[in-house]
Amino acid sequence: MQALKKVDDLTNVVVSFDAVDFSHPNGTVALRDVSLKIERSELVAILGTNGAGKSTLVRHINGLLKPTHGKVAVFGQDTRSATSAQLSRQVGIVFQNPNNQLFAQSVRKEIEFGLRNFGLPDNVIEDRIKWALDTFSLGDYAERSPIELSGGEKKRLCIALVLAWDPSVLILDEPTVGQDSEQKEKLADIIRELISERKNVILVTHDVEFIWPLQPRSVLMANGSIIADGPAQQVLARPDIAEKSSVFVPQLVDFSIIHGWSSPFPPTPEAAERKLRGV
Amino acid sequence: MQWIASGFLFVRGTTAYHRLDPRVRLAISLSIFSISLVSQSIIFLSAMIAITVGIVVFAKIVRRFAKSMVFTAIISLIAFGLNYYFAPASPHQAVVFGIRLFAVISSTSLFFMTTTPDELEQVMKWLHLPPDFIMIFVIAIRFVPVLMLDALQIMDAQRARGLEFDKGNFIKRLRNMIPVIIPLIAVALNRSLDLAEAMDSRAYGATKRPTSLYKLSLAKRDYFTLAILVAGLGIGIYLTLFVSIF
Repeated sequence: MQALKKVDDLTNVVVSFDAVDFSHPNGTVALRDVSLKIERSELVAILGTNGAGKSTLVRHINGLLKPTHGKVAVFGQDTRSATSAQLSRQVGIVFQNPNNQLFAQSVRKEIEFGLRNFGLPDNVIEDRIKWALDTFSLGDYAERSPIELSGGEKKRLCIALVLAWDPSVLILDEPTVGQDSEQKEKLADIIRELISERKNVILVTHDVEFIWPLQPRSVLMANGSIIADGPAQQVLARPDIAEKSSVFVPQLVDFSIIHGWSSPFPPTPEAAERKLRGV
Repeated sequence: MQWIASGFLFVRGTTAYHRLDPRVRLAISLSIFSISLVSQSIIFLSAMIAITVGIVVFAKIVRRFAKSMVFTAIISLIAFGLNYYFAPASPHQAVVFGIRLFAVISSTSLFFMTTTPDELEQVMKWLHLPPDFIMIFVIAIRFVPVLMLDALQIMDAQRARGLEFDKGNFIKRLRNMIPVIIPLIAVALNRSLDLAEAMDSRAYGATKRPTSLYKLSLAKRDYFTLAILVAGLGIGIYLTLFVSIF
């Protein structure tokens, strides 16, 4: 399969939405005049109420949905002129429900599936499977059926099988649902590592407590439109803005406001403790 | 897959046909179904299809009905072809068989597309069918759109892993459906187990005959429609028995 050319290297823009509208076949308008540019190695969190258009927005990035009006480009290529399979080589999506993705006889074969679809050579496939199994602590389950895994393990496997083909952009749709605190911490570490490798991570989530320590660029959506877009310190720490898309202000911001602190607010409990002690 | 399933999907409507008592709608569909099943006349069978289409236009479900009937038309053509070439029947019989199949399926589809699962449940209770059977049947009908949505989501998820459903020969395309069918079965089984537990915990089966919140009652428009139906059936029987062209 022909991989997507990274023609937008010079401008550094990885994903761009230009006045995008999208309506479902039944006439429901899901996106209204959405314009957004995501640059290389940006970490972006998309937040909003159910039905705000978050999942619809990210499905445009790998061409699963095509805009009704406007243009979506990935690495400069109009998504209308590429198939989902071509776009997915660069844009990996981990969907919210892991049960919708798992079908193979074993965890190993599940990871192998995407790598084969993208036509990678055998030796690379072996290396990538090993990497995925080790990184996500799935080695013990390699020969087990994915359907037998617990909810959290299935979720980890879904992230592993997408990262196995090393996409430039990783989209995680509600990645923390069903994950314990240890797995959340591990996921946060992986996200930091991906960003340090100049990759892009786009998180679709309601979990502000998970994203606050990561301090992502935060995009708030309501009724199919973007109502705020900026650094977490400016967007998530503003109760008036957060309220419009039914997002809770992170506890550390509330804590800071109670203590009379002004922005920038501490991103982690450790930073808050240091500030409290005056260190 | 969507085409096949959409023939059994209810479309909420506000037309006079939707407002009829579900038993009357059942009587209409059953009449068309029964006449189509016994009639040997091409003209009569075509008339049954024309009546069904007329009701579809009246109920304003033309688009969805037409979409779902594409698959039925293909099956009917195959039935005609098989009978024409392989069965010892006459060409007339082969045509009758093809049209009959279309008429029977379209009349069934008409009923399901205009009847909510709740109405269906009430009709089945009125027929004194066993409660467990009613529950199984209604849940199966209700889950068709849910499973369709699941199937679409699974297809999206597999497309995002580089799977191209529309590439390759027929066998390859069939094989490409494996990553959709297996998760779909797994999801459906999980959902049925969850539903069974949820129903048990809400005292399902505590009484042999649970009561209904709503009762079916015939209105004037229902009696009027039934009168037209009986008259139509009478004319149909007369034409079949006493007029030679039928």
